[in-house]
Amino acid sequence: MQAKENMMPPKTYDAIVIGAGHNGLAAAATLARKGHAVLVLEAQSSIGGMAKNVELMKGVFAPEIAHLLYNINPTVARELGLGTIFAPLDLISLATVSLSPSGDHVLIKDGTPQDMAGKSHPEAAKYTEIYQRLTKFAGLLGQMSTKTPPSLAGGIKDITDLAQAAGLTKIGLNLKLMGKKDMREFLRVLLSNIYDHLLDDLTDSPLSGALAADAVRGAYAGPRAPGTVFTLMYRLGNGAMVTLPKGGMGAVADAFGKAASNSGVTIRTDAKVAKVMVTDDRATGVQLGSGEVIMAKAVLSNLGPKSTMMLAGVEHYDVEATRRLRHHRAKGTTAKVNLVLSEVPEFTGLKGDLTHARLIIAPSATYVERAFNPVKYGELPQDPVIEAVIPTLSDASITTDGKHILSAILSFVPYNLKGGWSDAARQELREIAIKTLETYAPNIRALILEAQVLSPADIETLTGAPGGHWHHGEMGIDQVLTNRPANQLAHYRFGPAGYYLCGATAHPGGDVMGAAGRNAAMQVIKDGVLK
Amino acid sequence: MSKHVPIGLIETPFHPRLEPLSRAKKWMNWAGYISAGVMDTLEFEYFAIRNQTTLFDISPMHKYRIKGKDALLVVNRLVTRDIGKIRDGRVSYVLWCDEDGNLIDDGTLFRYSAQDFRLCCQESMLTWLIDTAWGFEVTIKDESHNVAALSLQGPTSYSLLSDAGISVGDMKPFDWCEVEPGLWISRTGFTGDLGYELWTSNDQALALWDRLWGAGHHWGLRAIGFEALNICRIEAGFMAAGFDFQPVHHAVRLGRGRSPIALGASKMIDFKKGHFNGRRALLTEAQTGPSHHLRKIDIGGFKPADGALIYYKKKHEVGHVTSGVWSPTTKRNIALAEFKAPYGDTIKNDLWAEIYINKEGQWDKRLVRVEIENKPFFQNARSRATPPKPF
Repeated sequence: MQAKENMMPPKTYDAIVIGAGHNGLAAAATLARKGHAVLVLEAQSSIGGMAKNVELMKGVFAPEIAHLLYNINPTVARELGLGTIFAPLDLISLATVSLSPSGDHVLIKDGTPQDMAGKSHPEAAKYTEIYQRLTKFAGLLGQMSTKTPPSLAGGIKDITDLAQAAGLTKIGLNLKLMGKKDMREFLRVLLSNIYDHLLDDLTDSPLSGALAADAVRGAYAGPRAPGTVFTLMYRLGNGAMVTLPKGGMGAVADAFGKAASNSGVTIRTDAKVAKVMVTDDRATGVQLGSGEVIMAKAVLSNLGPKSTMMLAGVEHYDVEATRRLRHHRAKGTTAKVNLVLSEVPEFTGLKGDLTHARLIIAPSATYVERAFNPVKYGELPQDPVIEAVIPTLSDASITTDGKHILSAILSFVPYNLKGGWSDAARQELREIAIKTLETYAPNIRALILEAQVLSPADIETLTGAPGGHWHHGEMGIDQVLTNRPANQLAHYRFGPAGYYLCGATAHPGGDVMGAAGRNAAMQVIKDGVLK
Repeated sequence: MSKHVPIGLIETPFHPRLEPLSRAKKWMNWAGYISAGVMDTLEFEYFAIRNQTTLFDISPMHKYRIKGKDALLVVNRLVTRDIGKIRDGRVSYVLWCDEDGNLIDDGTLFRYSAQDFRLCCQESMLTWLIDTAWGFEVTIKDESHNVAALSLQGPTSYSLLSDAGISVGDMKPFDWCEVEPGLWISRTGFTGDLGYELWTSNDQALALWDRLWGAGHHWGLRAIGFEALNICRIEAGFMAAGFDFQPVHHAVRLGRGRSPIALGASKMIDFKKGHFNGRRALLTEAQTGPSHHLRKIDIGGFKPADGALIYYKKKHEVGHVTSGVWSPTTKRNIALAEFKAPYGDTIKNDLWAEIYINKEGQWDKRLVRVEIENKPFFQNARSRATPPKPF
């Protein structure tokens, strides 16, 4: 049997996608919908990458890593038929509550803040003004997300591609159309820090704290770091709606998976790629860890840029490219704590169904900045910024016996923890999370039946995201658009012909958007490598 | 005794001999070393290169050792030629480029074995080499301050070496070998004529100088400076970093870099050897054509045209002279010049150099005819004869 197999010519596909995260699946589905034979190879035993369910107790499913869907790209959703009968995806819209230790929480719903009595927040007018201005500016950036970023390799004069030039012109034009006052303001705030930007108009409270926390979630930066207004705008520009997928994040993976399978994509799990084969400066296929060889006209990688380079071999990359990729900033700062609870915890002062909301623990912008400090020294934050959600309140389908899940994302947890990540360190992080939650929900400790803790290093191991980084790489101004993941590598094309980057590490970047995968597939088609 | 980082220019290992020989005291800064521009008289030194034999101290040259299992892979990743085709004990003239295919520098690569090379060049290259070697099993060592080197050039250089008891009769151009323990000789140079370069450790430097000097009188040996050598290299048609191309890592302005194709060195690129730095950009440029052409030109009259602008039909500015000199041997006014494509390539006629001449305070402007030259201005069969003739 073995001999017979060896005699068979290696299997051939039009394209191979490495990694069955949502971007890999989006890329595969996009290609397959154009009639190409596509194989997706996933190292883990299930698809979904960061968008997965994990069964913590029998019948109780937690969102293993990502727990909310912010930015699913409308173009991707439409093209892939996400949310249709063929790839069902029901999204439950969530409000945001920024918690205060005093119980004076702030509810932010449809861009308007209220207090717990349902009255308009005293700073509502100012908040709305800031929010609307940033959203307006963000629109300028958002329109770039379904396009390959413009190339500036040869300077402005060398942009010969009309479509590229048109894209840039459009941004410039839209910038001008905003009017002189707004244009000046846009350029003024673009590189400034969110801390000062917010506190120019707002007091330092849970309201400003929530925006500051949103600006830096997943980032290796506190709100006082330059460029954090930009990261918030970028997030808003790609859609700022907070939604909870029905059936958990696993439903997102399933929807992308179904969209791919329906289009004829073959998905193989437990298939770790050991090597991307390159002949005559062209990617020709992959070799699996098992030694199996699969040929293809194009190979798309959903991994981080450095791992993608190493799979093909550093010898296929120019020295400048290796320099940039070696120094690609991807220090993950996000940890995950999932708790199984015997019943719904009581948050002091939190009324009625507001426990369903996205709960932010960032009682002030200063709190967020302070929470960031220890990560610089490889230490755990004692008072962390937390984004928590109890998905089982909105969606009973993922639990049984009245048990609940509290899913918490802890910001500013170091990837390179001093002393390394051990079980004891995970215990310590768990304790910090519980202690912080206890401030707001005093009875929570007694309700805990089970806990799961994932450090940034664990997330890297599980998903291959470099540094366990939420966005596969810092979304700083130096690593977005024309520089994502790095200068001269921002066109999904990645070294040898037919080799492409299709994950969050490429433009437009992180969050569960699917745009990077879809854009990469479009670039593959445009380049004509599948012919 | 505490050690200090020296302030200002430092002396080469040969300086104790050069200093008393220097009449002109015309010193230059070469890579931080005191280096001779002229030792005595430019004309004496030039004619000594062409008719006798000369010693030029090339110790300031940057020298790097690339050693280890993957050394061949690393040098092939670095340079545009296929070093796999160069045998052990051979030297190769090499070019290396950035990712845009623009020249970083040129130099000579000495092959000890597939696991051991020495690269000599004008520009400091340590960090570039370290980054080129990332992911490979090699060590990069900067030998710039540990290896003393002399360039012995001229028709009688072979005879001089014989008199000094050094046998190099069977060495072909670009050969190199250890002739005695600790003394390596390569049949290389920058003059287009017969010549050798001698490499030894710093502590052996003065003994080597004395040995050559002692054997040199009969063969007209002179110590020379850079200026005489510069005339010879233009005669030989060799380009020089900082003159005929701007090493791209030092060019601040966009578009100042030049590819080997633009510099007329397409033959030095091997696209079939696998990936090397800048290959993809060069492949594109090979198809679309370079933006510029560096050419050898003959200029009418006898006034050196260094820096002159070049016009097409005496009207359109299409290039400039990068190195211009009166060639005493060929009795021609010669230069290297850069043209904007397609001038100098498909358009070669009706080209004029604009030369300004200062006649005792009164300026005169002349438009002088320019002819494109394909061969080196100075070529001599003796430079390649093996064994060389005694002369």
